[in-house]
Amino acid sequence: MAKNVSEKISELKTGVDWFYSDDFKLEEASDRYKALTNLAKEIEKDLAEMKNEINVIAEDFSK
Amino acid sequence: MDEPMQVYSVSDFQAVCNQIMETAFSGVIVEGEVASFKVNQGKFVFFDLKDEQSSVGCFMMKFALRFPLEDGMKIRVRAVPKLTNWGKFSLTVQAIMPVGEGSLKKSFELLKKKLTEEGLFAPEKKRPLPEPITKIGVISSTQAAGYADFCKILNERWGGLEVQVAHTQVQGMTAADQIIKALAYFNERSEVQVIALIRGGGSADDLAVFNDEALVRAIAASKIPVITGIGHEVDESLCDLAADVVASTPSNAAQMLTRDRRETIAGMRDDVKRINNLFNTKVDELLRINRDEIARVGHDIVVKITTVENEIAAQCKILEQLNPDKVLERGYALMRGDTKVGSVVEITTFKQEIEAKVTKVKER
Repeated sequence: MAKNVSEKISELKTGVDWFYSDDFKLEEASDRYKALTNLAKEIEKDLAEMKNEINVIAEDFSK
Repeated sequence: MDEPMQVYSVSDFQAVCNQIMETAFSGVIVEGEVASFKVNQGKFVFFDLKDEQSSVGCFMMKFALRFPLEDGMKIRVRAVPKLTNWGKFSLTVQAIMPVGEGSLKKSFELLKKKLTEEGLFAPEKKRPLPEPITKIGVISSTQAAGYADFCKILNERWGGLEVQVAHTQVQGMTAADQIIKALAYFNERSEVQVIALIRGGGSADDLAVFNDEALVRAIAASKIPVITGIGHEVDESLCDLAADVVASTPSNAAQMLTRDRRETIAGMRDDVKRINNLFNTKVDELLRINRDEIARVGHDIVVKITTVENEIAAQCKILEQLNPDKVLERGYALMRGDTKVGSVVEITTFKQEIEAKVTKVKER
């Protein structure tokens, strides 16, 4: 199932945090950096295209 | 000849009068000042509504009294006129609302005190907004400027939100009941994560609905967190005090409910830039560590070689001191052979090899 933008942002944050953690490994860093750069671009695209769905409820609250 | 006139019993006459008044004034709104306010048996409310020339008696049930009343307060009532069984004309009040700055303030302070004492506004009851928010319930008039501002900011800042809007009146005597129904609607369905109660600026009279006791209680009892964005920054309502989160305006409510996509993008770009710098820094650091290590090993090797060289030099010096030629050089001679008189011995000096005959031997 495709991830929504919030999940992608959360994934990006986790990815960024890895670089500051004790798990950091230089041999993995380059690949991870490329993946995060692509993810960031994907999120930017999603954010630019996202629209809100605003629906007025049919219910009549005056009755 | 005149038509014979209808003869009514007293009860019929009273019933017909009531029927006519009900048809003429199915719901009338009357404004005046409260006098002789009293509550009988804890449930029946009586007061007179008067102005400079006239006065009319009013009756209502206490549960319908949603604003505190005191004599002298100016109010507006929605009522049905009625002729009682005792021939007294009165208004059966369905709803009231204080009007005018003084009455509104008085009513606000009285109700605020009462609900504060009940703990309705206690800080520990406040819930934070959920994170992330994807489903919002909005209660507002879709014709109101405040609602338009709210939607504008919401759409500018973020996307992908599912927003359900309950269109209600946001001022006037029916507004509180409509908003209460909308709150119940969202709470029954539990489809949204937060409810935003929105209304743009207005006069104190316009905003009076947000001090309605039943509405304030409905907000405090909502299972779903409620954010209010009512009026302008200076306006404070009892609904604000009961809500979980208070925004100063509808636009501010939209800001509090959403992230800003521009800030998010800028933040992401910063993150990616920072980890790129971090990556380069870590590579530089590792290169430096390697260079330092190589330099250290090289230095250690030089030190070890020097030590060995020094040791060898010292040994050589010792060996040199032990060289017999060094002794001969200092003027000593080495003699080989039998030290008996008449024997021939070999004598070695630093520069000569000598053969000599022993002519005399004596003990030292």
